[in-house]
Amino acid sequence: MLTATGISKRYGPTLALDDVDFAARPGEIHALVGENGAGKSTLINILAGRTAPDGGRIELDGTSLLDGSTATALRRGVAAVFQTPMLFERLSWEENLALGGASQGSVGLELSDVKAQAYVRASELDFALPPPGVRVADCAIATQVRLEILRALSFNPRVLILDEPTGVLAPAELTAFLAMIRSLRSAGRIVIIVTHKLAEALAVADRITMLRAGRKVVELPATETTEDELARLMIGELPPPGVGHRTPRPTGEIALELENIVYEAGGRRLLDNLSLYLVPGEIVGIAGVEGNGQAELAALLSGAIVPQAGGIDIAAGGAVAVIPQNRDREGLILEMTLWENLLLAAPLRKRFVSRAGMLRRRRAMEFCAELLARFAIRSAGPAALAAALSGGNRQRLTVARAFASAPCAIAAHDVCRGLDLRAVAEVHQRLHEYAAGGGAVLLISSDLDEIFALSDRIHVISRGRLSAVAPADRNPVRLGLLMAGATA
Amino acid sequence: MMLARAMRPLAAIALAGVIVALVLGLLGTSPRVVIGALADGAFGNWIATVDTLVKATPLVFCGVAVAIAFEGSLWNIGADGQLMAGALAAGALGPATAGWPPPVAMVALFAVGAAGGGCWGALAGWLRARRDVSEVISTIMLNFVALQMLSWAVHGPLMEPSHAFPQSAPLAPAAELTLYFPPSRLNSGMLLAVSLAVGCYFLLFHTAAGFELRAMGRNRRAAVYAGLPVAWLTIWTMTMSGAIAGLGGAVQVAAITHRLYEKLSPGWGYEAIAVALVARLNPLAIVPAAVLFGALDNGAQAMQRSAGISPVLVQVIEALVIMILLAADSGASRRLRLALATSRLAGRIATTPAAGSDA
Repeated sequence: MLTATGISKRYGPTLALDDVDFAARPGEIHALVGENGAGKSTLINILAGRTAPDGGRIELDGTSLLDGSTATALRRGVAAVFQTPMLFERLSWEENLALGGASQGSVGLELSDVKAQAYVRASELDFALPPPGVRVADCAIATQVRLEILRALSFNPRVLILDEPTGVLAPAELTAFLAMIRSLRSAGRIVIIVTHKLAEALAVADRITMLRAGRKVVELPATETTEDELARLMIGELPPPGVGHRTPRPTGEIALELENIVYEAGGRRLLDNLSLYLVPGEIVGIAGVEGNGQAELAALLSGAIVPQAGGIDIAAGGAVAVIPQNRDREGLILEMTLWENLLLAAPLRKRFVSRAGMLRRRRAMEFCAELLARFAIRSAGPAALAAALSGGNRQRLTVARAFASAPCAIAAHDVCRGLDLRAVAEVHQRLHEYAAGGGAVLLISSDLDEIFALSDRIHVISRGRLSAVAPADRNPVRLGLLMAGATA
Repeated sequence: MMLARAMRPLAAIALAGVIVALVLGLLGTSPRVVIGALADGAFGNWIATVDTLVKATPLVFCGVAVAIAFEGSLWNIGADGQLMAGALAAGALGPATAGWPPPVAMVALFAVGAAGGGCWGALAGWLRARRDVSEVISTIMLNFVALQMLSWAVHGPLMEPSHAFPQSAPLAPAAELTLYFPPSRLNSGMLLAVSLAVGCYFLLFHTAAGFELRAMGRNRRAAVYAGLPVAWLTIWTMTMSGAIAGLGGAVQVAAITHRLYEKLSPGWGYEAIAVALVARLNPLAIVPAAVLFGALDNGAQAMQRSAGISPVLVQVIEALVIMILLAADSGASRRLRLALATSRLAGRIATTPAAGSDA
């Protein structure tokens, strides 16, 4: 039994956790739910030994866990998979796994053994592993999360903590993954799963603990509550259901058009003869299993990669704003201030740089302050470093920047990753309003609910190829098949 | 907050002083005498003070050059070679300016100095941007090339007419910088160094170009996604960095040495890395940091004369100041400490064979 009693943690002026009690029993899947900034991450960081609390006790079967070290936590059997993969990017994936439990107690390192074990485990989980020797830095985020899960399992943990693990898994992988969690449960292990998705918490977990603003709101069996009740408890009231209807205006003008794009790197064709158009006022969804060309598509629209063939047409005088998938690596510069991060968008750079090439610092900061207020980004002000923002607020900043640069099209790649219910509703609403106002949105997402809720047209991307989804195929089953490579 | 930040380096120097005093006490010498001699040698009288500034001037040029490159995460270890390339260009032109109006000769000398250093930096920038050659390696290698080129020049084509000494002919008087209060060596080169530092501060923090440079330095990938021309920025930054160091070389020749000889630089380009990091890459802070290092260098000799302490001790003090400063500033700059580690190591590698070639 894992018990945490009276846990408190303060970061500067904010009390991240305020006297929180948490308990999980063996043979239980326990969901930890709450909004961004509710204290979920802080609590699991403390449980996993990454952070020392200011006060409180943690015990696993009567032994204290409290010395704020991951090594001790791991030795006692607590393994965690964090939302941002904690892997050695410059090492190969096998080497990363070798640094997990597989190497415990042995002096030599048999990479081939590690690899063999990994393939066995991966096949149990239906996980697709990269080819041997690929560096983690070259793996897509979804692959990195899969590797993290494999690494955590290699410790054979008594307590497995999973922070938002399902966000990046494909539908087929999800089923096997949930089966794995359930088998851990029947083996008498404790599984703690952190999630924003209430439906998922209800479907997977036996018990649910909810945090709000650093305090425990409620702990209850999953069978005794409903999604509506949880949502009400979480944010006070239900967000507006979905977004309203929109009629695209097929005026014949094109906001953005890609023609026969071919992009190859490292001997692989990552974008294969890809053509696509966006009309002002419509949202086009791109569904797909991660690693099938989505990242390259976003990079292409950012101008970060140049295709070997094909053309990109953007409506005259317009620009495409891209919200990249990995905000910390591609979207933001964490060691720069918030107002400087806004200037990373070319249209804003143009606006706040004088003809002589001088920065209009004061005006940019005023604009930034206004934007922070408009998008409810909690920060110490425009001069704060982006690194000081919480994950959810960083995402809000990249979203705010995209809207503020007033483009003719926005390409959003997994835009709601790591955002809570209220923030997701807010971002969806803004995308909808933007399209209603004549903007075009390219919604690249591995979240089918999001694709269905927002898109006017849907494409599936598979091995760098796009195929349009007929209205009759607009259901999760058919889409799942198309994503797996079936032909339309 | 700002004041506390500004006080930190002073506190670090004081702490380093205390530690050095303890060590001296253990060695059985009076710390008061040693530090007194050091201070006296650095600032004891007008001539000594000006000499400290003379020693600080090339450190300001090279420090600013290093800071600009480091802001872009371009680890330019080659300020020494760039300075020599600039000095070589200036020293080659200098004797030919006889009869020119002095301002023209001076501007021409500075221009060729900056161009020489700029070419040297641009080469490393181009290699990084187009061929993905680490600038750490290329700049160190180019240091050796510049050193040998200078040596060859003063033994060969630029050797003074009598061919008695391995040095170049003196500059024409028109190209020499005026010394304001001889016999002190106070000159306008120092003023140029300070205004350059101010200019670079402005460039980094108040212009779009500086913003792009800093963005590239902090997250090259995000800079690419933001549509910044990183290849071009890389070449441009290394060129500018080299030009600033080269200008420092030209100033040194025009104001102090008035001719070229082999051992023109005692390793300013490497010492400047420490100066730039102690100044936290802030061009304005580089001026006092360079004066500190200049004072230590200058005071070291006096210390040896009057207290009989090896000038090597000054290197110990410098090392302590750097380490304490960086330790006092944890959190903020893993990047900088990494840079220091890399560049110190690189500097060590670069100077070792050079010292061997003396023998």
